[in-house]
Amino acid sequence: MKRKLRSGLSASLLAVAACVALHSPYSLAARDAQTILKETCQGCHTPEADNALSRISHQRKTPEGWLMSIARMQIMHGLQISDDDRRTLVKYLADTQGLAPSETDGVRYALERRLNTVEKFDDQTSQMCGRCHSGARVALQRRPAQEWERLVNFHLGQWPSLEYQALSRDRDWFDLARKEMVPLLAKRYPLDNPAWKKWLSAAPKAESFVGDWSFSGHLPGKGELAGVMSVGAAGDDTFKVSVKGQYADGTPFNGDGSAILYTGYEWRGNVTIDGVTMRQVFAAQGSAMQGRMFEAEHDERGLDFVAAKQGSSRLLAVQPGYLKAGAETEVTLIGSGLTGKPNFGKGVEVVEVLEQSPERMRVKLKAATNAQPGLRNVTVGTLKGPTLSVYSEIAEVKVVPEFSVARIGEGGGSTPKVQGRFDAEAWGKGADGKPYRIGVFPAQWSVEAFDDRAKEDEDVKFAGTMQADSGVFTPGDAGPNPQRKMSTNNAGNLKVIAAVDDAGKSLTGEGHMIVTVQRWNNPPIP
Amino acid sequence: MKHLKAINNKALKLDEAAAENRIEEVVAMSSVAGCASTTDPGWEIDAFGGVSSLCQPMEADLYGCSDPCWWPAQVPDMMSTYPDWNKDAQASNDNWRNLGTVFPKDK
Repeated sequence: MKRKLRSGLSASLLAVAACVALHSPYSLAARDAQTILKETCQGCHTPEADNALSRISHQRKTPEGWLMSIARMQIMHGLQISDDDRRTLVKYLADTQGLAPSETDGVRYALERRLNTVEKFDDQTSQMCGRCHSGARVALQRRPAQEWERLVNFHLGQWPSLEYQALSRDRDWFDLARKEMVPLLAKRYPLDNPAWKKWLSAAPKAESFVGDWSFSGHLPGKGELAGVMSVGAAGDDTFKVSVKGQYADGTPFNGDGSAILYTGYEWRGNVTIDGVTMRQVFAAQGSAMQGRMFEAEHDERGLDFVAAKQGSSRLLAVQPGYLKAGAETEVTLIGSGLTGKPNFGKGVEVVEVLEQSPERMRVKLKAATNAQPGLRNVTVGTLKGPTLSVYSEIAEVKVVPEFSVARIGEGGGSTPKVQGRFDAEAWGKGADGKPYRIGVFPAQWSVEAFDDRAKEDEDVKFAGTMQADSGVFTPGDAGPNPQRKMSTNNAGNLKVIAAVDDAGKSLTGEGHMIVTVQRWNNPPIP
Repeated sequence: MKHLKAINNKALKLDEAAAENRIEEVVAMSSVAGCASTTDPGWEIDAFGGVSSLCQPMEADLYGCSDPCWWPAQVPDMMSTYPDWNKDAQASNDNWRNLGTVFPKDK
């Protein structure tokens, strides 16, 4: 039955592919988006009134969303398209049928590849959509009811067994999907949204991002960094990018690359740092950029990134962001247009300003022995934003992320290992008794079996290795392991333990890490 | 569940978890962006929030997942989308290294 079904589907796929091939004169010459839509997409998509095309014209998506749709046409319908043409189409569709910045609020983690995010959607969305892929993949699309319904139909046609899986075989899945989910999605994520129309008329020109940007960042397992990103125009909403910075420990962070602006704010860059390509996924608005910069082949290795355009006035960060009562330390303020005197609040004295430029200010601080524990607002002249934590003792250590997923890989296979990368966050107790975040502290790292089963299965021995001083966990090799019971994979259920030293006293925090198997289906939006 | 009787260890464990109201906890833990949260038996995480009740080594029965589109967001489905995914790996337990990733990246 299965074989029969498969061969039937293959035959229809072939027919579609033949149809696409017939209608798509494949050419290596650069074509503009309108030509590609006409010559290639119209092979299947029907022209409609107002220069529209069936399906395509009734959806809005992120650049990654459009890339995935076109990739799906390549995989499922035999679409032949050159990389250049695909890039042209993604750019055009993201610009003309993208999402407004407000429409991506709260779900940018998926674009930024923060794959340890525990999603919080309503039960219906989690069970209907989030049980196979991220809920964000849905939340980053806009469609009218008819298009959401077609998406439901497509899912059932393409993956017919989805009705037999857990969270659907116990209910009338198809009816729920069509009658409850479709109206809910059409209401929550509608095609027509005033925010999009407003953004289309207000979106800035790419040229406004040309210039020097002062940035601050944090890479788990390595620490804080800061520097300058220079952006030069390269035409057609693209840029030349060069980054000059350094980590707090002095390691340089320098590199060159390029970037492109979609939809007037979706900044996507590729910058090579020390021979490693890092991808930039930022939201660029006005004189501010924010997002994540991560290794293209290892997206778990990435840094939080925030930048301010030089010439604007903004205080981005204070590094390090904490100070012990009674202690003296040097901190660096990062931003743009830093003028005036720095102030760190009650009980914190500015001993000396060691260095001052509009982008950077190095300050020697002293906290009074009796300084109250808690957060201080940091200001430079009239600029504010970051906080400085003053503490007398650490009350608690938290492992961040608290829950995470690492994946085995390599071992001769095609998928890379997905590492676990952790920070030890110290928390204090304020004068009001409430906990407050002090900051990221150096720690000694280890892993332990999460439960008795993990102990019995020797997960610690097989699942991978934790680097004691950095909190970087490298999982074991992919493939069956004959040394394990039933030759099972090098998966594991582990506690991640961080031990932080606070003046001779050791405090520990605990996280939970699942080391699991690889995935071969890995599109830009998880 | 009243018409179903647990007859092996895994099923007994599931019964116990359900009796102790731990199922909700497991669902919350496994809703990590991009991980499957259908735990029958689960791709990344099992019904107990661990890995010991997964079907592993998964290579032993991988095509039992990919053929019927189980975990299609993680494992290329061979019923509809990637019929030739295993053309160089007829025996998954021995040839899993020949299985490639499927998203068509820029060349």
